[in-house]
Amino acid sequence: MEATILLGALLFPLGTALFLNSAGKYLKLNKITLISSLGLLGSFSGFSMMFVLLALNNFHSKNITYFNWIDSMGISFGLQWDGLVAIMTILITFLSLIIQLFSKPYMESDERVARFYVFFNFFVFSMLLLVMASNFLVLFIGWELVGLSSYLLISFWYKKKKAAQAGKKAFILNRVGDFGFLIGLMIIFDLFGSFEYDTIFSNIELLDSQQASMIAFFLMIGAFGKSAQLPLFSWLPDAMEGPTPASALIHAATMVTAGVFMLVRVAPILNKAPQILLLIATIGVLTSFFSAFIAMTQFDIKKILAYSTISQLGYMFLAVGCGAYVAAIFHLITHAFFKALLFLGAGAVIHEMHHEQDIRSMGGLIKKMPTTGFTMLVGTLAISGIPPLAGFWSKDEILGTAFISGGFYLSLWLLGLVTAVMTAFYMGRHWIYIFLGEGRTKDALNANQAPRLMKISLITLAIGSVFIGFINTPFFHGVEKMLEEVLINVEVTHSPTGTNFIILALISVFAGVLGLFISNIIFIQKIINPLKQLQEFPFIPKKIRTMLVKAFSQGSPIPSVLKNFFLSIKRLSFNGLYLDLYGKRFLVDGSKSFSRFMAVSIDQLLIDGSINNLAKIPIYIGKKMKPLQSGYIRSYLTVFGIMVLLLVFLFILSFGGLI
Amino acid sequence: MEIELTTDWYLTLAAILFSLGAIGVMIRKNVLIMFMCVELMLNAVNLTFVAASRHLGSPDGQVAVLFVLVVAAAEVVVGLGIIVSIFSKKASASVDDLSLSRG
Amino acid sequence: MIEIGGFLLLSLVILSGALIVIFAKNPVHNAMGLVLTLLSLAILYLTMSATFIAMVQVLVYAGAVMTLFLFVIMMIGVDKEEERKESIQGQSFLVLGLVFMLVGLLTYVSIISGFKWDLLFPQAGFVIEGKPDLIASILFTAWVLPFEAVSILLIVATAAAVGLAHDQSKKDI
Repeated sequence: MEATILLGALLFPLGTALFLNSAGKYLKLNKITLISSLGLLGSFSGFSMMFVLLALNNFHSKNITYFNWIDSMGISFGLQWDGLVAIMTILITFLSLIIQLFSKPYMESDERVARFYVFFNFFVFSMLLLVMASNFLVLFIGWELVGLSSYLLISFWYKKKKAAQAGKKAFILNRVGDFGFLIGLMIIFDLFGSFEYDTIFSNIELLDSQQASMIAFFLMIGAFGKSAQLPLFSWLPDAMEGPTPASALIHAATMVTAGVFMLVRVAPILNKAPQILLLIATIGVLTSFFSAFIAMTQFDIKKILAYSTISQLGYMFLAVGCGAYVAAIFHLITHAFFKALLFLGAGAVIHEMHHEQDIRSMGGLIKKMPTTGFTMLVGTLAISGIPPLAGFWSKDEILGTAFISGGFYLSLWLLGLVTAVMTAFYMGRHWIYIFLGEGRTKDALNANQAPRLMKISLITLAIGSVFIGFINTPFFHGVEKMLEEVLINVEVTHSPTGTNFIILALISVFAGVLGLFISNIIFIQKIINPLKQLQEFPFIPKKIRTMLVKAFSQGSPIPSVLKNFFLSIKRLSFNGLYLDLYGKRFLVDGSKSFSRFMAVSIDQLLIDGSINNLAKIPIYIGKKMKPLQSGYIRSYLTVFGIMVLLLVFLFILSFGGLI
Repeated sequence: MEIELTTDWYLTLAAILFSLGAIGVMIRKNVLIMFMCVELMLNAVNLTFVAASRHLGSPDGQVAVLFVLVVAAAEVVVGLGIIVSIFSKKASASVDDLSLSRG
Repeated sequence: MIEIGGFLLLSLVILSGALIVIFAKNPVHNAMGLVLTLLSLAILYLTMSATFIAMVQVLVYAGAVMTLFLFVIMMIGVDKEEERKESIQGQSFLVLGLVFMLVGLLTYVSIISGFKWDLLFPQAGFVIEGKPDLIASILFTAWVLPFEAVSILLIVATAAAVGLAHDQSKKDI
């Protein structure tokens, strides 16, 4: 019974995708949306039912094998059902349902809308397969399929050259990560002779720390590719060329978190490789910091959110690196909610702005579309870590665990804290640019209310963003309880308690407030002279105030130096640390000239030359032999007769005479 | 020594007849004459069949000759038909003019 | 002795007929040579007491088949002189080699067997009379399936001949 429900819930989105693929072009938009949403709803309700059963069963994990796939290697097709899978499946199906509701008004004017729903549902199926897999091979199938659907959705508007290129870029960069992942899987199979999670994790003591490090390192590369971490992150901002609902689901809420999910899955292996954990944490926090830094000066409404996504994923990797797997999953959940909310809000804005994405041409939209504005404010506050919204609980837990891990992790904590300030800053900037002030273009002045379905999904997600954080507070360890079985043999770092907790919480709240405050000063009161503000600032003694004003006023050398300094930083940030530029110059151009060298000298001269010369031999022989086939039947017959006689001779000789 | 007329005589005659037919096919260019040479070869085979039938005291060989006759008749009908239709197109009975499938 | 002498005489006629078939220039002469061979073969069959076969040989070969041949020769034209010069390079050389090999083979086999070919089966002590009733009795019992097959072959051949004779350029007929 359970096996059937799980399989059914998994196959529902695939079924709707296949159906819409063949029948989609004959149906009206309403019908398409209805069918597609019903598929997702069925899937969601199936998983919810199974979740209840699981909760009643104390989150005892279950492993269902459906059929033997490759008998000789003992590989089977099976699904896993435990706390981690339950969280992920419900998250995926719920969010995809909400986002699908949002997509209807957003995509209604597109002529390939049925195709969009096909890809969308196919993505949901792939993601479910990824999280539900009970062995690494099935996980890998899902892993590749989400990559494929991500590619399809990024380049959905394939006639736009940029979109097609972005899809290609995402696919290729993901391939780099997948390569690492595949190597990791091969090592695992070599060591354990199996891909099954159960077999591997129950024999985990067979691993020595070196082998564990090797596996963990390659799996980490795979996770970095999928989750857009530092060396491989530049595809995610470009991926925003896809339709906004797809960006919300795939490139913010679910697919990009697959790397985090996978690392939590292999937590027993990671725990035997402490150096790799430190590496993961370091790269995570660095990614987080740099992408937040880039996000501060971007002007594309979706790109800011994309960099913010990378940044938040960095937090999750920091949590994994600290051994705080629960915190990582918890942040994954809360982030999925508020980031989906922010993306959908951005989608609503883009929709009303007639596909204008530059925040400089918006402004004053709070009066035109208040629902969107206030729900997005909720999301902004949530991501900035303002209590009691969702982001506060999870981010605080991550920073807290980083703090108490001590040693080198302390510096990571500090960097994370700075990032928190920056996060609050750019999110505040984002919101203020869009919603406050006066409309800066005609589109902004004439914007209308978002359609009703959009508002409904925004409000639902806003409510989620407010309350989802309560499932794992220091007073109620919900997520931890669910993951207990999954991380049964794993040493989990717990978040601090008592005074430590309160102090750390206060610090991170302060960081959030500080960031918002700075953005408030800079952007709301941009019109007003900042020096004048400073002069009237009440908390600093008047003497220092006048000194500062004097130092920064026109004519003195400090402002111009400072200005240049800040301008260069700003330029660095605006250009995305020049990563794309130098990446192109070194990797793309370098490999291009290398390939050209290979193509001209190695391929054409050496390989082609030798093959061509080799080919000349049969041509020569053929030319010499050609007269043999004269077309004269008499000539053939004669040769045939001679050969037959020779055969007869051979017979007689080999028998030594007649029989 | 009394010389007996054994099966060997017939077989030798059949072998010579067959060889003559084969040589004829090889040296003549006229399709009709090549065809006649094929008939010669078939008759040589028939002779061996009858000789074998006599040798073994079994009528099966003669039945086989009957079949060869029928097949030869069918072959002549179709072959001559082909020759006529080729002739009506090429106005030549020489096989060398039909060497289209050459290298 | 009479048997041997008759056989040698018949053989002579058969082989000379065959030589005419091969070497005569005029197609009608070739056909006549073939008729000579076929008729003397029929006589040979009679001496081998295969009477039915001899009759069929005369009827089918010397009668029907040869008539067809002559008909076609007349249709195509007797006066067309065949180009006797060998045009294929090395063909005459190859044929000579083939003849040489054949003669060599036959001589070799004859010498090593002492002109006495040891056949695999011993000669039966009796002579069967190949009369129509005997042939018919086994043709319609043990050989009935090949007989039917051959009848189908004849029908197919007839249809093929009709199809070939049908002029493609005159579709409206």
